[in-house]
Formats: sequence, structure tokens, C-alpha cells
Amino acid sequence: MFLGIDIGSSSSKVAILDGDKKLIAKTVVNKGTGTSGVYEALKMAFTDADITQEDVLYTIVTGYGRITYNNADKQITEISCHARGATYLMEDVVTIIDIGGQDAKVIRLNKNGTVANFVMNEKCAAGTGRFLEVMARVLGCQIGELSSLAKKSDDEVSISSVCTVFAESEVISHLAMGESIENVAKGAHTAIAKRVYGMCNRVGYAPKVIMTGGVALNRSILDALSKELGEEVISAPYPQVVGAIGAAVFAYENWDKITKKG
Amino acid sequence: MSNLKLLLDQLIEAGSNPKETVLKSMKDTEKEAVGCFPIYTPEEIIYAAGYLPVGMWGGPTDLKLADKYLQGFCCSIMRSNIEYGMRGTYSFLKAVVISIFCDTLKCICENWKVAVPGIPVIPIVYPQNRMIEAGKEYLKEEFKRFATELEKLSGNVITDDALVESFEIYEDFRAAMREFTVATGAHLNTIDTKTRHLIIKAGFFMDKKIYTPKIKEITKELNALPKENFNGIKVIATGLIAEPTVLLDILVENNIGIIDDDLSQESRGFRVAARKEGTVYEKMVGRIVDQRGCTFLFEEAKTRGAMLIDMVNKHQADAVLVIMMKFCDPEEFDYPIYKEEIKSNEIPILYVETEQQLDSAEQIRTRIQSFAEMLTMGV
Repeated sequence: MFLGIDIGSSSSKVAILDGDKKLIAKTVVNKGTGTSGVYEALKMAFTDADITQEDVLYTIVTGYGRITYNNADKQITEISCHARGATYLMEDVVTIIDIGGQDAKVIRLNKNGTVANFVMNEKCAAGTGRFLEVMARVLGCQIGELSSLAKKSDDEVSISSVCTVFAESEVISHLAMGESIENVAKGAHTAIAKRVYGMCNRVGYAPKVIMTGGVALNRSILDALSKELGEEVISAPYPQVVGAIGAAVFAYENWDKITKKG
Repeated sequence: MSNLKLLLDQLIEAGSNPKETVLKSMKDTEKEAVGCFPIYTPEEIIYAAGYLPVGMWGGPTDLKLADKYLQGFCCSIMRSNIEYGMRGTYSFLKAVVISIFCDTLKCICENWKVAVPGIPVIPIVYPQNRMIEAGKEYLKEEFKRFATELEKLSGNVITDDALVESFEIYEDFRAAMREFTVATGAHLNTIDTKTRHLIIKAGFFMDKKIYTPKIKEITKELNALPKENFNGIKVIATGLIAEPTVLLDILVENNIGIIDDDLSQESRGFRVAARKEGTVYEKMVGRIVDQRGCTFLFEEAKTRGAMLIDMVNKHQADAVLVIMMKFCDPEEFDYPIYKEEIKSNEIPILYVETEQQLDSAEQIRTRIQSFAEMLTMGV
């Protein structure tokens, strides 16, 4: 069995491949680096796959918490793992948009599925999952409700501030002026899409464009990105776990290399 | 311990501890120190005036006082220098010299007078049009004016003999550094990226009469070793400065070696020799006139991209590493131009934005490691 672990800033993900490179387990726990999240995700994945740690031949860890996790054979960045996971799950992928809890990345792939180029957001939270969290708090809803709120909008409120903190003030002003929560929610999605569009231009995007990371579960973000990019943006299967799956694929391939050399 | 290891350890220690090194240098040479803000400070003239020129390249510090003068979007190094100045860290300096190359440096010159009144400031302004006769004449006169300011500070005349001797010491130093960087490029296993940086940096805090022989000895020892086969990623580094040191640690972790550089704190300071003809001042002017591809010295032809591409080809380097210190306007203005030239030559390029007050290097770590993975594809 081959284990891929993705320890993000706000969630921990685990994927397990069997000896035929088939995905047999995938779990997500909404607790990130520095918490017990990774151990809970591992426990759940082992139960789902009906295996124990002893059955694992090779482990690769990725994500923000990869440096401090000591029980893996190797650590690889989430850029490489999202690329490998995406090409394992889908064909003809050229551009990957990965929006996580505190960062956003756009990855351009070569024809053979390897990374050709990538860009990451800078330190600030503009264009990341954190931006949506802040918007949800201001609008008084759960983050999972933002998409359905945006779907009910009859207009769109423009949020021009790049900075998440300033955008929060801007949204409060809009609400005070009587704008509807639905229209502001729609504007929040467009604001993220505009930030990510800039990153896509920097890396040079082309179809097929897919989205990974937890934010891909939000249908309104996919719609907003498709509109901004002028290309259909689709979610990867199991978008939250793509990085962990990529890590598991690398684990399988590393083990394969080792045993062939062996 | 081998002679090479001993010399390397000495200079790594010196480069890692600027203040201690400067204080020791002052004690050993019995000279007073004059602080030199980046960049192109005419250290020869300061040395000829009997002072020890020492580099002021900021450092990692909590910014509490500097915000009074410099906002968050100003150059990270300048903010550190003002902070250190206001805290009294530089109290041992006789004066500071500020070369005016950008808007922030212009402001700093005036800010310093108010923020750090106990340490006099001597400005020096380089010409924008350095390649025309009027620009050359202006710079020569500026060097002379600068010398006069130093004479007022010390109360002594800078003699012609002292100037000639000092000029030769610095030309010898620059030649030695050029040979050193060639030798380190051939020995990237023995001299990793961090070691190379700290050894070069040590030169800013030591008397060149003491530092240069050590560099020559290191180069001699390296050249006696067989050329090394480096199995990592060879890059040409460009930008203002390759700091903070955690950035260098991450480069070393990812087996990335700087085979040659275009950094202000490193090769830009010594890659051009002075001219052979004319007076000392004219030879010094020639050194500035002949510099190419430096963002801080106006050049209509914008040769930096072509220069970096030539460096990549010459060294068979794998990529160009852009180290962008926040918020260096001149460097940021140049980037879009040379980036397109490098990309159109299908040379991989990594842009890393950094600052001296870096509280978390995880984003930089991911960028650099991803880039290394992208180039090697051996993951």
C-alpha cells in the first residue's frame, strides 16, 4: 500500500493506493497543520482501506505541514503533488487552479503532465479560501452557504479592495448601504475570480482548466472563474484530496523505482 | 583542520556577525569606521582618508522606530538601517555615506539627519547620464567633493600617495574577488551557496588589506583541488542581495548552487575593473561608466537580460534566480523587461520576493522546492 498525506493550513487529507495503483481510500479532516487532524485522517483512511500502518510500503507527505511531519519517507511540495494527482485522475489537463485555505496557486503542465510553470499568491489572503471565510463571517452565514446565496443574487456588488481586511470593511459598508447579502456574496466570488485570473495570466493558462482544493466544492467560484477566464473551469474529482492522491502516486512510483533498482 | 577549512570558518564567522567583525577590525587597525549604505560607495576615498569603510546592509530586526520615517512599502534594507541607527546600534560609526540611487535613498539622506543626529551623513550623487563626457566630468568632481567632505570630517588632507595606495588596494581586492567567484563556481560542493555569500559579505566588515590575502589564499586552495562535479541545480542569481540567510538555507537544502551572480552585494561590486588611464578619480569614474546590466546605473540599451542569458550559457546554468528585496523600485522596474528576454530563450526563471524582516519562510520554501522539483522531475 502507498500512502499520500497532504497537511494543509486548515485541513488534513490522506489517500491510499493499492499495489495496482488503484485509489482505495481518501479522507479529509478539517484540522490543519499543528493539530491532531493528520492522525485522525490517517486513522480513518486505514479503517476505510482495512489496513494497518505495517501494510504501508512507502509514504510521501505534502502541503504546508510537510516539513514538520516526521513519519514519511519523503516530502514533496503541493505544486508537484497537485499536478501528479490531477493527471492521475483526469486526462488532458493543462492548467490547474488550486485554492486552499491560505494560499492560491496556478500550475501550468507540460504535455507529459509534469510542471511547466507555476505561480503562487503573495503573503496576503486575497484570492484564497481565507477570503471566503472572512466574507462568510461578515455576511453571517456558513462558508458552505456562500455559493447558494450567490446563486440567489439579482445583481452583483463590486468588491474592489485586493486586501482581505479592507474588503471586509468594504463589504460592511455595502451592507450598511442596503445592498442584499446575496448580491454581496456574488461579488465576493467575482473578487476571488479576478485575483486568480491575474495569476492565470502570469502563468499563461490554456484549456483544459481544472480546479483543485477545498474551494472547488463551491459551484459559484467555478462559474465566476469560467466567466473571468473565458474558459470552462471544472472541478477535479475529490478536489480536496488531489494533493494527497498525487503524493500517493509519487509514493507508488518511488517504491517502484527503488524495487526495480533493487 | 586544513588551511582551507580554517580560512572558510574564519570568514563565515566574520560574515555572520557584522557588528562583532567591525569592532574587531576597528581594534586591529586602530581606525575609526565610516558606514557605507548600499551601493557603489567610493570606499577607496574613505580608506585613503584613514577610515575603515564598513558596509551597512541592514539585517533582521523588529521594526519599531523606523516606521516614523519609512512606511511599510519602503525598501526593507533601508528600514533596517534606520531602525539600527535610531536604536544606537551604529553608535561606533564616525559618519555614514549614502549614495543616492533611488527615491528611498534620497529620503533616507534627509531622514538620517533628523533620526540619527549623532552620526553625520555624507551624501554622494551619481550621474544618470554616466556615459557622456559631462556625466564623467560631473562624477569626477563629485568624488573630489566627497574627498573634501571626508577631509573636513578627519581634519586631515587626503594625500595623492594615500589615494593611489588605497586605489590599488581596492583594485587588488576586486580582482581577487573576480578570481574567487570563478573558483567557487568550479567547486560548488565545497563552497555552497550560503558559504559563498557569507565569505563575500565578510569583506564589507574587514580591512581589505587583511581580507584580500585570505580570499587569495582560499582561491589558491580551491584551484589546487580538482574541478567538482556538482549534481544539483546551477543558477545565476540576480537582484540586490541574497538574504535573509534562511533563503540561502533553503537553496542549500534543495541542492541549488549559485554558479555566478548579478547581485549588488556581490559581483556587481567587483566585476568591473577600473580603467588604466588617467588620474585615480578618472580611473574610478571609468569603473562606473563601464558597468553594464546594473539596474541602479541608467543604461538606455537595457543589457541586463542579454547579460544574464550570456551568463547562463557561459556556465551551462539551469536557471535564473531572481531575488527581489521588498520593495526595491529600480529592481522591480527592470524585472518585466529581462524576464521576457530570459523566457523567450526558454531559460527557466524563478522570482522570489523576500525581505529582511521575514517572519515565515514557508511560502519561499515551497516556491524554491517546487522549482527544484520542476527542473529535476526526479521526484
